[in-house]
Amino acid sequence: MRLADLLDFAWQVLRGSVSRTLLILLAMGIGVAAVVMVTALGEGARLYVANQFGSLGSNLVIVLPGRSETSGAMPGILIGKTPRDLTLEDALALKRSHAIRRFAPLIIGAGDVQAGARSRETPVLGSTSELMDIRHMEMAQGKFLPPGDPRHSQPVCVVGSKVASELFGSRPALGEWVRIGDRRFRVIGIMAKQGQSMGSNTDEIVIVPLAAAQALFNTESLFRILVEAKSREQIPYAQADVEEIIRLRHEGERDITVITQDAVLATFDRILNALTLTVGSIAAISLGVAGILIMNVMLIAVTQRRREIGLLKALGATGGQIRLVFFTEALLLALGGAAAGLVVGELGRNFAVQMYPEIPFQAPWWALIAAPATAIITAVLFTVAPARRAAKLDPVQALSRR
Amino acid sequence: MIRLSGIARTFLVGGEAVHALRAVDLSITPGEYLSIMGPSGSGKSTLLNIIGLLDRPDAGTYELDERNVTALSDNELARVRREKIGFVFQFFHLVPRLTALQNIELPMVLAGIDPAERKSRLARLLAEYGLEDRAGHRPDQLSGGQCQRVAIARAMSMGPTVILADEPTGNLDRHTGQEVLAVLERVHENGGTLVIVTHDPEIGGRAQRRLRMLDGAVVADEKG
Ligand SMILES: Nc1ncnc2c1ncn2[C@@H]1O[C@H](COP(=O)(O)OP(=O)(O)O)[C@@H](O)[C@H]1O
Ligand SMILES: [Mg+2]
Repeated sequence: MRLADLLDFAWQVLRGSVSRTLLILLAMGIGVAAVVMVTALGEGARLYVANQFGSLGSNLVIVLPGRSETSGAMPGILIGKTPRDLTLEDALALKRSHAIRRFAPLIIGAGDVQAGARSRETPVLGSTSELMDIRHMEMAQGKFLPPGDPRHSQPVCVVGSKVASELFGSRPALGEWVRIGDRRFRVIGIMAKQGQSMGSNTDEIVIVPLAAAQALFNTESLFRILVEAKSREQIPYAQADVEEIIRLRHEGERDITVITQDAVLATFDRILNALTLTVGSIAAISLGVAGILIMNVMLIAVTQRRREIGLLKALGATGGQIRLVFFTEALLLALGGAAAGLVVGELGRNFAVQMYPEIPFQAPWWALIAAPATAIITAVLFTVAPARRAAKLDPVQALSRR
Repeated sequence: MIRLSGIARTFLVGGEAVHALRAVDLSITPGEYLSIMGPSGSGKSTLLNIIGLLDRPDAGTYELDERNVTALSDNELARVRREKIGFVFQFFHLVPRLTALQNIELPMVLAGIDPAERKSRLARLLAEYGLEDRAGHRPDQLSGGQCQRVAIARAMSMGPTVILADEPTGNLDRHTGQEVLAVLERVHENGGTLVIVTHDPEIGGRAQRRLRMLDGAVVADEKG
């Protein structure tokens, strides 16, 4: 039997019993659509988290003072001593590493910011010009901190958009002077609105040069150092370099903690991937149900079409050909159901995107392959029994009864 | 050439053995026109099914064209059946969702014959059996006589050497039955072997060779 004839024959059968065909297509379609939509939700959540992390900066390595390790040795903490401070000199020593593109030392404190009669308490961040690139910040007006030796500073500052509007109202803030503590700073830039991003809100801060912050808060101690590795592949080397350079500067003590953005993201990734896989598998159970439906319908078909099967045998069909006829039918149903399911799933995904535009709903590639594949495999597996029964049918008996 | 020797077929019905055929010996030469008559349950259909390779005997040997077909596998039997045998049934057994043309085409489709070749054979068959203007009709749009003509055309589509008809007129009125019989007899006139099972003595009497069966055995074999 030729393939085209086989398909044509199966097509005639499917067209001959429309309601049966539609029922199976519906069941298969719902199963596939469920898998696609559920995994799109899971993957959307995963990408959302990944984007949020990405907005912190890329290839980020964060250096914190103190060793946050619960293992028994506690190498950094000597008896009766607090961990050594992380200093600007430590940060500048990182220039030696070839794996590091740039870094920004950070000091953070709270200050009263005054402009004219208005005043407001905000977090004040001391850093260098590199911070802007590392954190992917954007300016609404003016410039970011000027480059230069971080040991010396100019009396300038950059303010968040909310701080600017609270201190200056609708008046232009650029070029105005503000007072923080006992020092005066000229506003040289206003940051673009960024909103909440992983807990820190750049709309509500003021950024001053590092040396100014050291003087303001009377401290040499850095809050942390943000390091950007040259590439994703360089992250482990950057981490190792940071640990080694600072250990040497700290007389061999490992008294800092180095976190890579990658490691944190990987943890989230694992959790959310597992979640997506789990809910996707649960949705795939509906495909199993569709498979059982196909089997039942096929078994009924074998009974209903006894005479036809007997006739085909009398006309010279082999058992294999009869099986093939049934498998082709099941395969067409599965393909049709899978296609319908993919379309409905895509419509559902579009609907979800309309409802929550900020979440990138997107079924993962493996779900787009696995869902139709599962539909096809279940359909074929559940047709084995009916097809065998049909092939074994005794033609004489099948033809004898009217 | 059909040669049956010692063919027996026993069915188990409710634990009891029913001897549908008891040691039947029968030879049919190519081109013969043969009728089988006998009371209901005498084994006529069983004999026809064994000749047509639809059923296997429990004992005896069957040689078709000098080849022992008793021991062939199911797949080999299907191939022989497809190439050498044409069946015509009392209840036509057309596939209801297919058109007359598609029904006639079915054996050629199963045999994997090239579509172009099928087309030319179909044109010839439709013309030969007077079905040209019925090609696109489904069985429920055809009369009994037309249905049986479609069934005969289908049986002939693979150019078989043997046509087996089990009460082909049993479901038709007298006049239509005569017509269908005339169509079947053309097979014999063209040199094919024709075996007809019938209840109707008038129809059975037209064959050159007339078999009578009783209780699973051939009790009379008249020629001429
Ligand atoms: N598949 C079967 N199962 C059980 N008994 C059968 C079967 N086919 C035929 N028989 C029995 O075998 C005998 C012969 O049947 P059959 O060849 O159909 O007779 P006929 O065609 O001459 O009426 C009958 O007694 C019938 O009941
Ligand atoms: Mg009978």
